[in-house]
Amino acid sequence: MEQIIKPDLNFVNDIIASGGESLKKCYQCSTCTVVCNVTPDEKPFPRKEMLYAQWGMKDKLIGNPDVWLCHQCSDCTAYCPRGAKPGEVLGAIRKMTISEYSPTPFAKMAGDPKYLLVLFAIPVLLFLSYIVPKGYLDFSQIPRGEDGGIVYAKFMPVFPQIDVTFGLAALFALACFVVGIKKYWSAMSAQLDGSGAGAQLKGNLIGSVTATIIEILTHKRFQKCNVTKDRSTAHLLVFYAFAGLAITTTWAIIYLYGNEFLGITAFSLFHFGESPYPLYDPMKILGNASALTLLIGITLVTLNRMKNAEKAGKGSYYDWLFISVIFVIVATGILSEVLRLADIAVLAYPVYFIHLVFIFFLFAYAPFSKMAHMVYRAAAMVFARHSDREV
Amino acid sequence: MSEQSNKQPNRILVIGGGFSGLTTAVDAAETGAEVIVIEKNPYLGGRVAQLNKYFPKLCPPICGLELNFKRLKNSPLISVYTMAEVENVSGGPGDYTVAVKLAPRFVNDNCVACNACSEACPAERPNEYNLGMDTTKAAYLPFNQAFPQKYVIDSAHCKADCGKACQNACKYEAIDLNMKQESVTFKVSSIVVATGWNPYDAKKIDTLSYGSVKNVITNMMMERLASPSGPTGGKIVRPSDGKPVENIVFVQCAGSRDENHLPFCSYICCLASLKQTTYIREQNPESKAHIFYIDIRTPGRYEKFYWKVKDDPNVSFTKGKVAKIVQAEGSDDVIVEAEDMQTGKKVKVRADMVVLATGMQPAGAAQKINGVNYTEEGFALSNQGVIAAGCGRNPMDVARSGQDATSAVLKAIKTGLGR
Repeated sequence: MEQIIKPDLNFVNDIIASGGESLKKCYQCSTCTVVCNVTPDEKPFPRKEMLYAQWGMKDKLIGNPDVWLCHQCSDCTAYCPRGAKPGEVLGAIRKMTISEYSPTPFAKMAGDPKYLLVLFAIPVLLFLSYIVPKGYLDFSQIPRGEDGGIVYAKFMPVFPQIDVTFGLAALFALACFVVGIKKYWSAMSAQLDGSGAGAQLKGNLIGSVTATIIEILTHKRFQKCNVTKDRSTAHLLVFYAFAGLAITTTWAIIYLYGNEFLGITAFSLFHFGESPYPLYDPMKILGNASALTLLIGITLVTLNRMKNAEKAGKGSYYDWLFISVIFVIVATGILSEVLRLADIAVLAYPVYFIHLVFIFFLFAYAPFSKMAHMVYRAAAMVFARHSDREV
Repeated sequence: MSEQSNKQPNRILVIGGGFSGLTTAVDAAETGAEVIVIEKNPYLGGRVAQLNKYFPKLCPPICGLELNFKRLKNSPLISVYTMAEVENVSGGPGDYTVAVKLAPRFVNDNCVACNACSEACPAERPNEYNLGMDTTKAAYLPFNQAFPQKYVIDSAHCKADCGKACQNACKYEAIDLNMKQESVTFKVSSIVVATGWNPYDAKKIDTLSYGSVKNVITNMMMERLASPSGPTGGKIVRPSDGKPVENIVFVQCAGSRDENHLPFCSYICCLASLKQTTYIREQNPESKAHIFYIDIRTPGRYEKFYWKVKDDPNVSFTKGKVAKIVQAEGSDDVIVEAEDMQTGKKVKVRADMVVLATGMQPAGAAQKINGVNYTEEGFALSNQGVIAAGCGRNPMDVARSGQDATSAVLKAIKTGLGR
């Protein structure tokens, strides 16, 4: 079949700029695909992706589920005879996929350190605009709770300030994700049609989704990594910690809106008064347990990365920004609680403020940061199953 | 000729008695230079002495070696020291001092190579000439055509409690178990470093499972297996059960072109594997050989040899580097895994035996000579009157080693003449 290849040289340069510096060293020996434990046997990755990337075949890469089937075990990178670091190159391609399908200019900003301050300035100014008019920069002006303790809800009211801000941020992120995934799915479908390989979408989508969810919950594929074996455990901790925190948040919303605002007492089965809830409240227990799990998980993620850097590559700005944001969130979250209980106002309020800024950063920019991996990777895994890509 | 060179004849010390070193020695001596050859092994000929056939002519290397041995024997200007190692090089062009350590052979010039000592000897040693695939007695002749034709006693494996069985068996008083290590110093005008190469240690390439999966051998082992003077008398059978090999896989770039192992192309391995397919194809018309490669590199006119092998329908090729080797379940067969880049599929091929085309690592990687300069990889570098030649300088084939040696001779002579 005749195929006209249109190389996109800017795309090649972008990959190189996004952490795929070593791309051009690849000499196509295919050691990488053979040592990879997570690739299918048919059209295995990452050797073909390295070729597409060298040749600037952008369409083949951004409409490709394989770049997300890759879990960056870095077995390929460790065994690469040329130091071409396929793991890092695919990481850079994933970053560019996220960027490609994001409908806003934030995508470009999220991957470029020179916009970091701008990205942070937005939530900082937003939250300052809530507290400065009230004179809360002077902490003594902030009202206290009935028992005289620190109550963050009185510093930054839950409604409308917190919930409207985060509600809108979440809606914005969701909209971006919906647009992005739709584009990505049709790009992947177009690549299937154009491949001439006769691959077709088949089976029921529900089945593919269910299988993917089970795979994600068990991290089965991730556990096949060799060189960076420990990463799946660390990631599993972070993953379940986030799940725990999502449940905690939902639970808190039910407490607040169901019980306190609407007065539906059925929601107050385990409800012991108003925020801040006592430490024995089951919701609080789940929240604190999840926070500690997250702290352990993200610390392991960091340590593993540092330990593996020599063999697996040092990771990109994009990776480390994401890890740092999670680290600051969990650290300031735990500190906020400790400082509140210890009644150290001079530290408690600033730490809580930082905590809010970083949570905003994580949620509002989720479709552009590495946080988006959870959505794109899940979509790619569903698509791979659904298109009969053996997994 | 200058007055000075009349007073002081050109004296060249050659480190290494393999093909490059031998060529250097006889070429230099035939121009009138005095030559000292320092060889670590108890015999001359180096790696070439282990080869079954040369590519592309497929003739036996020993005959070329014997020509050189003859030239060497006929020359009164060459002194050969076997079991000798250079410990230090000092001085400058025209006036080098070389310190040499001579290990005891325990056998003197009376030896007529009658084999009586070996028959009497009760101890065995691994035969490194056959890459450890068999053993010899501790009193042994390195190989049939070994030059010098003198037995050796391997003190590391010699059992002192045998009551000097070899000495008693020898009718020629050729065995002297009291020989000691000696140190000698030579004053020479120039030095040729022709220290050669070692096969890269295949155990270091963990994906290729050498040493852990049965019937995975190296290309140098294949030379010995195919050689009439080898451990099987030239019958290519697999080591685990002696089954004649019908189906063989060659794994190219086993260590070469790999920054984790040898960050250079070893030059000869593609041609060696192509040559070795002919060994197996000659023995069995039904046999099949399969080569996995990144690129088949057959420089210059060797391309024709590649074409010739490719014409054999029982020799097949897959572009894709092998990065996984396992034992077939319940069998001594071997399964190699690679991506066939032309179809974009992972393939698994089952074979009776797998040959790893291990690369050449310069001798300088394992052992550097004090006073000689080396590259990071251990290749010897020429410096003034110290001239590097052969595979210790750069990977090359035997023909180029010869040319490299001759070119080193001219440089060495010029150094001696003070130009």
